[in-house]
Amino acid sequence: MESIITQFLNGFSVVAILMIAAVGLAIIFGVAGVINMAHGEFIMVGAYTAAVVGQLGGNTFIAIPVAFLVVASLGLIVERGIIQWIYERPLETLLATWGVGIILQVVVKLIFGPELYYVGAPKILDGGFRAIGLLPFPWYRLFLIILAIAIMVITYLVLFKTDLGLKVRAVRRNRTMSGCLGIDTAKVDMLIFAFGSGLAGVAGAALAPIKSVSTTMGFPYAVDSYMVLVLGGVGSLWGVVAGSGLIGEAETILSFIYNNVIGKLLVFIFIVLAIRVFPKGLFGYHERS
Amino acid sequence: MVQDRQVYKAPMFPLWAVIFAIGIVFAIATYPYYGAAYVTSLLGKFLCFAIFALSIDLIWGFTGILSLGQGVYFGIGAYFTALSLKINYAAVNPTRYGGTLPDFMEWNGLTELPGFMEPLQSLPFAVAAGLFFATFLAFIFGVITFKRHIYGVYCAVITLAESLILQEAIIEYQAYTGGFNGITDYGTHADINVLWLILVVTIIFFIIGRLLTHSRLGTILKSIRDNDTRAEFMGYNVANYRIFVFCISSFMAATAGAMYAAWNGIISFLDAGPVFSIEGVIWTAVGGRGTIIGPFIGAFLVKGAEFFLSGKLAWTWQLIMGGLFIFVVLVMRDGIVGTIGKWWTARKRHVPVGELIEEADALAADRQKDFRPAGQPKGPTEI
Repeated sequence: MESIITQFLNGFSVVAILMIAAVGLAIIFGVAGVINMAHGEFIMVGAYTAAVVGQLGGNTFIAIPVAFLVVASLGLIVERGIIQWIYERPLETLLATWGVGIILQVVVKLIFGPELYYVGAPKILDGGFRAIGLLPFPWYRLFLIILAIAIMVITYLVLFKTDLGLKVRAVRRNRTMSGCLGIDTAKVDMLIFAFGSGLAGVAGAALAPIKSVSTTMGFPYAVDSYMVLVLGGVGSLWGVVAGSGLIGEAETILSFIYNNVIGKLLVFIFIVLAIRVFPKGLFGYHERS
Repeated sequence: MVQDRQVYKAPMFPLWAVIFAIGIVFAIATYPYYGAAYVTSLLGKFLCFAIFALSIDLIWGFTGILSLGQGVYFGIGAYFTALSLKINYAAVNPTRYGGTLPDFMEWNGLTELPGFMEPLQSLPFAVAAGLFFATFLAFIFGVITFKRHIYGVYCAVITLAESLILQEAIIEYQAYTGGFNGITDYGTHADINVLWLILVVTIIFFIIGRLLTHSRLGTILKSIRDNDTRAEFMGYNVANYRIFVFCISSFMAATAGAMYAAWNGIISFLDAGPVFSIEGVIWTAVGGRGTIIGPFIGAFLVKGAEFFLSGKLAWTWQLIMGGLFIFVVLVMRDGIVGTIGKWWTARKRHVPVGELIEEADALAADRQKDFRPAGQPKGPTEI
């Protein structure tokens, strides 16, 4: 029983990782309506940015804002170059962004070579602490949990307390009407795509110390993020919290009891059954009402 | 006297197409007698890939459900067949250590064939079981999702996760699946009879595809693809049609997988994974979705180009592949066959091609409107 409790606590860091990875996607998918299959590669680019920052003597605290800027500009380029032409056809954004993902993988591999990179955690976050009777809990995992909460709060503030956020929500509700009222919907789409990409970069930089950095590291995170959105529902920040909470905890505990694959499989079956009951996810809109 | 309304209906099999097809089939069937062995081995593979692409086209191009996990069904068909062949091969060709078990089982400490694998000793049973299992899985999946109007993006994501999980399961349970190395060395089955079998199955599936999509049923499917709400109002049970097509398409994919396993002589987790599944989607898109011949042309062209280009520099091929995805979506939306068809229609109707493309774009946007975010918020934290 005690070990289950330990796993439950460990699960929080998995939840935090899922949340960090999924929130950028929630914005791109939920607000801009783009099925961004390059999300995993955006995370990967963020992680490589952290590796470069690490080589130059910086640490994760510096890498996170740098990765945000780098990947946000990357997202801006992708949006201007490709996605702005296909907003009307969301299913096809999936194919185009998959192509973007392949190209990013090749380019990064050409620049950095096929070997794995390792990024160290900042010195202050080395080691861990031991709660009474439980296994040690690394500081870095605690940092991830705090970072996840911080990212959610910042995203909330951007979407609900700024002028841009107001416009974003207006466009999300009714694109045509917002356009009529003088909102530059194309610009809003562009900025929100860049913001979401930037969050993917933050995810990459934060994940780099706990994962070896390679060109193919991103794809599983992208799929996990999509599962979070499918379960939690698109278009709600609570959906991201609920989705990553349920998936992260269930996967950690089930993987501990059985093994990794069975844990994943059970969670997958659970998600499929859950969306049979809640087709729009736990917190999703009921768009036809 | 009421006169029947005259509607032009394209013939099921136009004469020129039949003659052309007979020529191609004859060329492929006799190729091993005069061609290079390397190209022959590619031909068999490409035919399997073409069936795989056709199965994606049926579900995506004609019914409008983008499945990114079609590789799951291909993989199930392939693994059942390969396991059966391997078990039989190992029984008569002892491994280095003298065992009669498949080598990967020996390496992982199994001393005898697991009980649940014993029925696989019979090849016909194994193939049938693989096909049945794949179709059954598709049926279950369809009942769970399509009956609840879950399709589009959600369906794409769930099927993608499905293939990722299958891939991980294959790697994890290496004692039964060969794991990361896949199943190799189970004898050679790439002879001319197998090629003919593949060719015959391809022709049958091609005809089935044409019959399915060029009949009343095909019209219903297209109407579901274009506007499922309206089709439902007309009294059609949209979910059942979707499940039916999904089952057929997964059956086709599994058959392709089974033949591929026999022909290729090596099977790995990659043949069931998400990357392969999405590659199939791109073959279909390049050739022309919504046409029966498109997937064949797409699979042969893309895969053929890959085999001749990737030998030189692997990364250039990957770049081309990535660029191809973007190109197909941005520029050549209907693929090769669709673009030729548009150009032909435009010439017959004396309108510019651009107009037809705009029309098709508007239709596509209309079709995918449901996936654009819009709607009323329920709570204060809704974006």
